[in-house]
Amino acid sequence: MEKKAKKPAFEEALEELETIAQKLESGELTLDESIQYYEKGVALAKFCRQKLEEAERTIEILQKQPDGNIQKKPVKVKEDTGEIEDDEDVQGSLL
Amino acid sequence: MEDIEKHETVYSVSDITGIIKQLVASAPELNGVWIKGEISNLTYHSSGHIYFSLKDEGAVIQAAFFKYSNKNLDFKLEEGMSVVVFGGVTVFEKRGQYQFIVYKMRKEGLGELLQRIEKLKEKLYKEGLFDPRRKKPLPKLPRRIGVVTSPTGAAIRDIIKVAMRRYPNLEIIIAPAKVQGEGAAESIIAGIQELNKPAWGVDVIIAGRGGGSFEDLMAFNEEKVVRAFAASKLPIISAVGHQIDSPLSDLAADVAATTPSAAAELAVPVKEDIQDTIEQIMEKMTKRMVMLLQSFHNRIALVLQYRAFQNPVSMLEQHELTLSDVENRISLSIHKRLYEVKESLNRIKDLHLLVKNRLQNYKHVFMMNASKVEHLSPVAVLKRGYSITLKGNTSIASVQGIRQGDDVKVIVYDGSMNCEVQSTSNEVSFGKKS
Repeated sequence: MEKKAKKPAFEEALEELETIAQKLESGELTLDESIQYYEKGVALAKFCRQKLEEAERTIEILQKQPDGNIQKKPVKVKEDTGEIEDDEDVQGSLL
Repeated sequence: MEDIEKHETVYSVSDITGIIKQLVASAPELNGVWIKGEISNLTYHSSGHIYFSLKDEGAVIQAAFFKYSNKNLDFKLEEGMSVVVFGGVTVFEKRGQYQFIVYKMRKEGLGELLQRIEKLKEKLYKEGLFDPRRKKPLPKLPRRIGVVTSPTGAAIRDIIKVAMRRYPNLEIIIAPAKVQGEGAAESIIAGIQELNKPAWGVDVIIAGRGGGSFEDLMAFNEEKVVRAFAASKLPIISAVGHQIDSPLSDLAADVAATTPSAAAELAVPVKEDIQDTIEQIMEKMTKRMVMLLQSFHNRIALVLQYRAFQNPVSMLEQHELTLSDVENRISLSIHKRLYEVKESLNRIKDLHLLVKNRLQNYKHVFMMNASKVEHLSPVAVLKRGYSITLKGNTSIASVQGIRQGDDVKVIVYDGSMNCEVQSTSNEVSFGKKS
């Protein structure tokens, strides 16, 4: 609970990108360093963009199987209301 | 019977009823008191008054809740509902009945419930369960959010709607739970614990329900539920719809939201905002790089404008010119140097002559002065026939203190004589005179 979770890669990448941008902005770097940092920044931005697209829209609900195992089951939702379709078929509790 | 009529006072029904009414009205035990009971024979009258019976296992009392008193009531009365009412007993003469006039009413147990929650809150607070240092930050980019709530409630609809709008390609995984009534607490706890399992790959949990009455939200005030919120390893948002009283789950969760929609907004970033942030940073960086490269380009261009880069042959010529110029300057300087050395040699010769002349001059002057010095010397005087007379080691210039028989020494040019004074005289005369 109190131990700090390791920062996810995306957040680290975004933070590093911000740091790099600031360093470039500072004007303290040599041309070589600037180019290196810029290339790093381009790579980080690419990584972040990829991460943003990585997940696929899915909505699933956990259901208890007859053998007691819990499995996830995809459900459809109504686009406008967010309502789960055919919700009579899903269990209302894991217990 | 006749005796009684003669000697005793006879009261009318009204008199007696009047006395009863007065007794009842003046009894402190019957006025301004709280009583507890169950509602039955409930009638909402068109006039706005509410009539009902209040009963428990052993008795029943008629009650009237008049319009001017019940207008602030925030719940609807139902048959069988347990309530606590405040008011007083009054007698209705015409019917020979007494009834309880209600001024205030609240649901039975609510006060105790609030007190119990307050006590629990204090206990958990002392345990450190609500310590801000325990709070985990929410992930900036959750890929999969877990939701513990009823799959048919308003909460899940709101969360899905808001989350999908903000981040279209988000994964939502629902742990269905009973959120009120019996078994709700266990169901919510099971959901939170299940979603905490790494297998589901959840980044953040939203647990809650839509708004409801105070009792409807009670599951989120139960100690074991509150503890389950606090024990969640994953960041958890308490999302219980409420306006005034926050459920204790709000205090134990990492973040509290007043509605499920608000919880979804806290948990799910707006994808476009993140994209904008990245593109803005990249634009800034690119601009900066272009500027930097431009400035270097300009410097290179400036350097290339030097003649050497435009026409190398001319540069060579230039070097040749420089070289011969240097040669000229070197030979010139050598000649100049030689001349200077000759000059100074000549000057030294002159100087030598000058010194020589001066020296001869000095010699001459010295010789002249030397002969003068010779004349002053006592030796020269002695040569001319003078002598020096000593008595002991003292030279004698006067006869005073010299007596006959004194031994003196007379020094002449080439020797000395030891003499004995025969006589002394004050007269100074040389031999020629005597």
